Amino acid sequence: MAELIKANIAAGLTYYRRSKLLLAFMLLFLLLTGLQSLPSIFMDSGVQSFNSLRQVISTLNGFLLILAAGMGLLIMSSHLRNRSLKMVFTKPCPPAVWLLSTFLSAALVSLLLNMVVLTGGIVLSLVWHFPVRVGLFFVSAQTFAISLGLMSYLALLGTVMHPVLAAVVALIFNAELFYDFHLWTLGAIQSGYNHWALRALERVFHVFYIALPMLDPFDDKTANIHSSLRVLSNEWKYLLFSFGYALALSTFCYFVSLYALQRKNHI
Amino acid sequence: MIVAEDMHVHFRTRFLRRKVRALNGLTLEVRDGDFFALVGQNGAGKSTAMYCFLGLLRPTSGKVRIMGQVPELGCGLYKDIAYLPEEPHYHLYLTVEEATRYYSALSGKSVSKQTVNETLERLGLGRFKSLPLSKCSKGMKQKVGIAQCLIHQPKVLFLDEPTRGLDPIMVKEFRETLREIHQRGATIVMNSHVLSEIEMLANRVAIIEQGKVVLQDELQNLLTVNRDLYKVVFQANGTVPNYLTGVDRTGDVVRAFLPKTKLHDFMELVKTSGLQLHECSLKRASLEESFFNVIRGEELPFCGDSQPSSTAIP
Repeated sequence: MAELIKANIAAGLTYYRRSKLLLAFMLLFLLLTGLQSLPSIFMDSGVQSFNSLRQVISTLNGFLLILAAGMGLLIMSSHLRNRSLKMVFTKPCPPAVWLLSTFLSAALVSLLLNMVVLTGGIVLSLVWHFPVRVGLFFVSAQTFAISLGLMSYLALLGTVMHPVLAAVVALIFNAELFYDFHLWTLGAIQSGYNHWALRALERVFHVFYIALPMLDPFDDKTANIHSSLRVLSNEWKYLLFSFGYALALSTFCYFVSLYALQRKNHI
Repeated sequence: MIVAEDMHVHFRTRFLRRKVRALNGLTLEVRDGDFFALVGQNGAGKSTAMYCFLGLLRPTSGKVRIMGQVPELGCGLYKDIAYLPEEPHYHLYLTVEEATRYYSALSGKSVSKQTVNETLERLGLGRFKSLPLSKCSKGMKQKVGIAQCLIHQPKVLFLDEPTRGLDPIMVKEFRETLREIHQRGATIVMNSHVLSEIEMLANRVAIIEQGKVVLQDELQNLLTVNRDLYKVVFQANGTVPNYLTGVDRTGDVVRAFLPKTKLHDFMELVKTSGLQLHECSLKRASLEESFFNVIRGEELPFCGDSQPSSTAIP
């Protein structure tokens, strides 16, 4: 079992290393971030430099989230679409092991990139003569937790539908959209337009909002940490909650993906 | 070893949702140590049957057992099974060496680096070890597939069009390797359109037509000898006697069939007119002829005292 996981993780890491799409995306984003942070290097004002540091970290973390989503989607859809899984499942390697290894390889890459961004933040702090703030660690760890959930969700979507459709669902038909719809229908009902169809719609939107995964369920609680890069002692629990949520979501996505993978005909 | 009972596989087409019967009550048995060939036209259901044997496709109804077990994706049964797919659906981002190593690691048996290298050298892939599969030719990918099949010495081999895309030298070498594996006691199930190849390798054959086995027999029973007809090859310097049938002329050389009743007359002619006779032998039905006869619904060319022992299913 350990040997199988090791072999599959190694193959997964090779996939990420050689994926031209991911590489191009990564280079483009790093170039843009580099250009964005370049002027701040020559600034004298500490406030401006701190704002730049915050912005660079926030941009890079946003990039890591998009990358995690892309990794989850691409690894599943590419293996399913080029039908290479028949070579795996006709060996004594069950879908459960392959899927676990795939999730782990994506998580490893995500962890590595988060550590690179964190190191970048520390280096920038030292270059700009700030004390290294503990909020950097918090933000990086939380980004990693969110990446895990996002990667698992996109891997699930990539298993059950076409990758383009999966990307559309993730980008447009997400919890935020249904939350807006829910608020809109609720507002209409409260303003007197109390038709049964609208009430039904309001319920449907609410169910979708509850059922679909959220990107960052604790963003209102941790907004201060992201802006000040300081963490109060009672705020660390949100990091634990973020990991708990990511773990629960990943587990759910893993089992649904596994079920779909086992039901598919790999021919 | 492998048993399929009344296997049905039905698909629905994507848009019109029309029902397609890929397998229509396929029943066959592969015995331990067989070199079993599945023969049929395109779309007859050979590959579908193989997918069902491998657990890659669930039959709509019917049963399939390999070594007494139902094949499930990635189950322990595959420790002793190797599969060479028809289309090279491999991990294209891996190099030749990485793919071979990866597939052998998945087989659950530890294979040394030396064995991997030796296998690649033997298949002529030594020079291309670091070439990504996405840049390999079809033949090279097929060789990678063969390497991953041979490397862990399986007990059962499923080969779907194994020589497709291989050069003639490689085909010959592969044929020898298969003979070697078979002689070592492995059971081999092979799909192929190359009937001459099957004649050289298989000991049992099943002819599949429209999703079911229409004939299943020992190969030697299909390659019957017709004792009423001789095959003659000679150099004609004039007209060809009219009792010869199936005449095929290439320059001066004539290939034809001679009825047994006219053998004496023909020999007289050879003697008197000084014909140069190259060959005169009892006509042997090839697998190709048997296959076409079965497909056309005609009787097999059994004759004389040889009795049909084939399991012909209407």
